Amino acid sequence: MLVVTTAIVCAAGVSAHRTDEYLQAARLAIDSGTVQIALDLTPGIALAEAIIADIDRNRDGSLSPDEQRAYGGLVMSALTLEIDGTPVRAQLGVTDVPGAEAMRRGEGTIRIQSTATLTRLSIGPHQLLFRNRHHPDRSVYLANALVPDSDKVAVTAQRRDVDQRELIIDYVLRAAPAAPAGAWLWGSIAGAMVLSVLRIRRSRSVT
Amino acid sequence: MRSPMPLASTLGLGLFVTVAAAGLAQRGATSQTPAPGAPSDATARIVGAAQSVLTALDEAGRAKVQFPFEGPQKTRWSNLPSPMFQREGLRLGDLTPAQRTAVTTLLSTALSRDGYRKAVDIMRGDEALRKTQTAGRAGAPAGGRGGGVRFGEDEYFLAFLGTPSVTAPWMLQFGGHHLAINLTMAGSQASMAPSLPAAQPASYTFEGRTVRPLGQENDKAFALINALNDAQRKQAILGYRVSDLVLGPTQDGRTIQPEGIPASALLAPQQTMLLDLVKEWTGIMTDAFAEPRLAEIRTNLPQTYFAWSGPTTNGSAAYFRIQGPALVIEYAPQGSVDHIHTIYRDPTNDYGAKFTRK
Repeated sequence: MLVVTTAIVCAAGVSAHRTDEYLQAARLAIDSGTVQIALDLTPGIALAEAIIADIDRNRDGSLSPDEQRAYGGLVMSALTLEIDGTPVRAQLGVTDVPGAEAMRRGEGTIRIQSTATLTRLSIGPHQLLFRNRHHPDRSVYLANALVPDSDKVAVTAQRRDVDQRELIIDYVLRAAPAAPAGAWLWGSIAGAMVLSVLRIRRSRSVT
Repeated sequence: MRSPMPLASTLGLGLFVTVAAAGLAQRGATSQTPAPGAPSDATARIVGAAQSVLTALDEAGRAKVQFPFEGPQKTRWSNLPSPMFQREGLRLGDLTPAQRTAVTTLLSTALSRDGYRKAVDIMRGDEALRKTQTAGRAGAPAGGRGGGVRFGEDEYFLAFLGTPSVTAPWMLQFGGHHLAINLTMAGSQASMAPSLPAAQPASYTFEGRTVRPLGQENDKAFALINALNDAQRKQAILGYRVSDLVLGPTQDGRTIQPEGIPASALLAPQQTMLLDLVKEWTGIMTDAFAEPRLAEIRTNLPQTYFAWSGPTTNGSAAYFRIQGPALVIEYAPQGSVDHIHTIYRDPTNDYGAKFTRK
């Protein structure tokens, strides 16, 4: 096994795909009452064995659901989330760990989803801080806000440190959106057309 | 209370007349014989070329190339070589010369002249990389079929999702190391999103000439960032490193918050440069599909953003992103200028979702 892994690592090393870095991509979805954090963690081939060892705590060669969840918790413990300067705790949701062989091939991505529930946020501007300190020695980071699904939330700015370990998102929480102007116009036009038809019919019936 | 009604009635009538006139004009236009470059003609040519591939194959080959239109194969594409990513479909290296010619003809039909050249240049580059590795590691498995990482011109795969048809939706999928083309067609409509043209090496010599598969993308982007004034550049340049594609393989259906400078803040010549840069991706499709796609992007131009991360001197490794309501393009050097990954997406129409939705 070691021989095969070494051969793949050497070959991939020459083709220069990310081999000795841990790519950690975070996406943050903000809603009026929640922040969902989706983390995709892809170890390079040269790091796969170390990451597998982190997960496979009893060293039995299989990555059990409990071990996967424990690894999810380990990653979560390295995250910081704050709203308006106040720490917020995100609850671990799904931890999806690919097979060890997929990770050894460099194809495996660990996916961790968590959600923080936000209570009593006022209408108006807010600031979310996200920081990732998981494996800072050998990682490259991506961190992005997703376009909010709800019209009640609008992201106004994103700021990061140079390595994207830290992301600050400025956003505005709005009251329930008013009907868009376009809908007003179309509604008025449709109403006017219906009334016009009714008027014409009435005038014909009179004559 | 009464005064708004006549105004609304007038507005409504005016609008009705305009819409009706436009509809009649459109009917008049569509009732004419399609021009030679019409999308329906392009679809017919591509379907004909796909059927020639099927005819050239034996039963086993046809079984390998054919997949259901709706199924896991649709999203199974990658920049990675085999077996880091295990592709399904018809492997070029397993084909007879006649079968390979049929595949080549299909690709040259489905893609524009520049798009086909780009695909060939990427594959030749991959072959150059394979030979470099083989020469540097006698007996090593890299690039060969001995269980190690495999890539090179033989390691590209073709798949048809659905039956090639001039009316029903189907998809032509072609890819290998550093290339993924997902062309979904439905009658006269087509989408090439998502697709991933990449390159390593980014520059090599073939038959005495220097080939840069993504050279135009690189040079046009550097020309654009250097055409911006200081204030515009300040808006466009992100203050952080971007080490990889944000919306690469497996990131379907996600829309990140756009950043950088909106095209509405660019001068007309700069907007033209931006569109010309976008064309390097949209123009991979044959012209009949590429032109309406570029027109759609032009319509959305005011809401389209250009973002840059890295040095602005050509020859440096710099990341850039172009993002609009129906467009995402990313260009991400992988640690050096000699290894580039790019992605092309349409958040509204990846895999032809807009026109294949039931």
